[in-house]
Amino acid sequence: MVEVTHLIEIPMAVEIPVGPQHPALHEPLLLKLYADGERIIKVDVMTGYNHRGIEKLTEKNTFYRDIFIIGRVCGICNAVHTNCYVRALEYILDVDPPPRAKYLRVLSMELERLHSHMLVLAVTAELAGYETLFMYLMKDREYVMKSKEILTGQRVMADYMMVGGVRRDIDEVKTSRILDIIKRVEERIKYYHKIFQEDVTINRRLRDTGRIKPREALAYSLVGPVVRGSGIKTDIRIQDKYDAYGDIPFNVITEDYGDSYARAMVRFGELYESINMVRYILTHLPQGNPVPDERKLPRRFPVGESYAAVEAPRGELTYYVSSSGGDKPYRVKIRTPSLNNIVNSAFTYVDQMIADVPIILGSFDPCISCMERAVITDLRRGVRYQVPLKELGGVRK
Amino acid sequence: MRPGLIKEIIKGIFVKPVTIQYPKEQTLIEPDFRGRQYADLKKCIGCSLCAVECPANAITMTKIPDEYVAPKTNARRIYPVVDYFRCVFCYRCVTVCPVNAYLVTNEYRLASSTIVESSELSLSTTTKAAGGV
Amino acid sequence: MVTNLNLVDFLKEYVINSYTMKPNRVVIEVEASKIREVFSKLSETLDREAYYLATIEGTDFPEKNLIRIDYFVNVFGHNTYLVIRAYLPRENPIIPSVIDLVPGALAGELETYDLLGIIFDGNNYLRRSFFVPADVSSKDIYPLRKDSGV
Ligand code: SF4
Ligand code: SF4
Repeated sequence: MVEVTHLIEIPMAVEIPVGPQHPALHEPLLLKLYADGERIIKVDVMTGYNHRGIEKLTEKNTFYRDIFIIGRVCGICNAVHTNCYVRALEYILDVDPPPRAKYLRVLSMELERLHSHMLVLAVTAELAGYETLFMYLMKDREYVMKSKEILTGQRVMADYMMVGGVRRDIDEVKTSRILDIIKRVEERIKYYHKIFQEDVTINRRLRDTGRIKPREALAYSLVGPVVRGSGIKTDIRIQDKYDAYGDIPFNVITEDYGDSYARAMVRFGELYESINMVRYILTHLPQGNPVPDERKLPRRFPVGESYAAVEAPRGELTYYVSSSGGDKPYRVKIRTPSLNNIVNSAFTYVDQMIADVPIILGSFDPCISCMERAVITDLRRGVRYQVPLKELGGVRK
Repeated sequence: MRPGLIKEIIKGIFVKPVTIQYPKEQTLIEPDFRGRQYADLKKCIGCSLCAVECPANAITMTKIPDEYVAPKTNARRIYPVVDYFRCVFCYRCVTVCPVNAYLVTNEYRLASSTIVESSELSLSTTTKAAGGV
Repeated sequence: MVTNLNLVDFLKEYVINSYTMKPNRVVIEVEASKIREVFSKLSETLDREAYYLATIEGTDFPEKNLIRIDYFVNVFGHNTYLVIRAYLPRENPIIPSVIDLVPGALAGELETYDLLGIIFDGNNYLRRSFFVPADVSSKDIYPLRKDSGV
């Protein structure tokens, strides 16, 4: 009989936490990867690192103060957030803003889509190893931010929406300046589009990673450019025709293949559409006064509930607002696109390489910076060491 | 290396950098950028509406010191003091004020190690009772 | 093409009450225990590529001693939202989970459980501290209940 002297444990899987912290963007999260060699077998998505209780906070503040609180849910897409909330209030109040205000709202939201998509494309380039392209895209994104400053008064926090209209008007000078900027940015975007299409490295890294089939995309409630990259034609702008989207011509961009590359291409397509929409709006702006007098707006709201949805740069964003009369909302429910895209998307990582995780996560357009760092547990030696995620691809165990 | 790349490199040598040497060079901002705002004490009627509506609770209503002149309409002799560390520059206060009392500027350089608030600026809009500022 | 009207029609046997929410979302109230049947019926009748579950939302009504749960389904193939609404008793809010029928319910169910304490029977992933910080969730407080004191 053999006596057991040594117990040898063979590690079945390596657990790699990716994340969690970076509060600057919307959702700091932790992806717990279980990898067998380089291949991922399971992913747990851990959240809760930056829950600020905004839904509760809105219940404690008045409807109008909430407009500004809600603008701070997300820095990048603050105009769409406030637009969605303000429209929910308008549905309850039965207010219809003047046509000029509707056009200007769409203008601010499309400028936001422009800079948001440029950001995620820049980050995609960075994750694929192209820091210079990242810098280039960010440089040109700054011009779009400038046009947002011209329109709304600040480059990030628009605070542009108000019940019954927008908060400042636009004049001839500003119009022509924004048109100028847009023209310049369009040329640059064409150039970057060509790089994304032709560059060998980008193509190798993005193609065939994180492929999502259309049925899966819907079953898992993924939204925005992610489902459109899987060939599903869904867009709240078409579906609800809110604000001026009913009047402004645009196309819904879809790609069939459903990998990270398709999602990047959807975003490029949407950049062109946004540019055309901005141009259309600035040349077809209806006359009238879009700015309501904030002192004359009703203080108290009738009993009622409404459910507004908006196509944010990252996908369908919805607000449910219920009022029980009085000056404070009874319940505000915010469902951001990233919640669906990130929590439900764990299945896409399975059977992919560790090195592709950033690319896949990046193509969902979440909080990117939170995954700059990973902890590897080497079970054989029982030591933990940290490497930036970018170098993970080169780690050999 | 591809020819497109070489063109881009040569161009890169000759163009001016897009970044600027702040604070030696100032950032160009819009004249109607939402920057530091303060109440004009010649107009303010002390209704406190701006303090109620401020989403960041940045405004405290404060007594106007006795030596300063306050308009008759401001019976309670109070005025809003904005704490710029809390303020998020949404300009809700500016738009709800019933008498348009706020003066707006595009001043954005507010970083400081001491408390920055608007009382000095607001008080400078009115005069002291016994002549002179 | 299924219009708004017969959207409610084919779910008729489950509908207790039906009305619209602004702006023209169809609301149907159903029995909480029938929620799984409603979703299977939905997937039988509608093309799988025509709808997705957008949100799960819960609201607390302490004075009525009820918790209301809404499932917002975006039937984009037919250009409408369907709101499936059910009421649960406040002391014992249990509803069958639909996560195996609609995997996209995961995020919504986890969130609603953590913030409001609705238990989704059959969902093994439920855990506290999904969103709520540990100091609150360890005291067994559900922050979105009106009497939570948070
Ligand atoms: S700008 Fe906004 S945050 Fe600042 S004091 Fe006025 S209301 Fe308050
Ligand atoms: S709202 Fe205007 S008048 Fe009223 S306290 Fe504020 S600054 Fe003064």
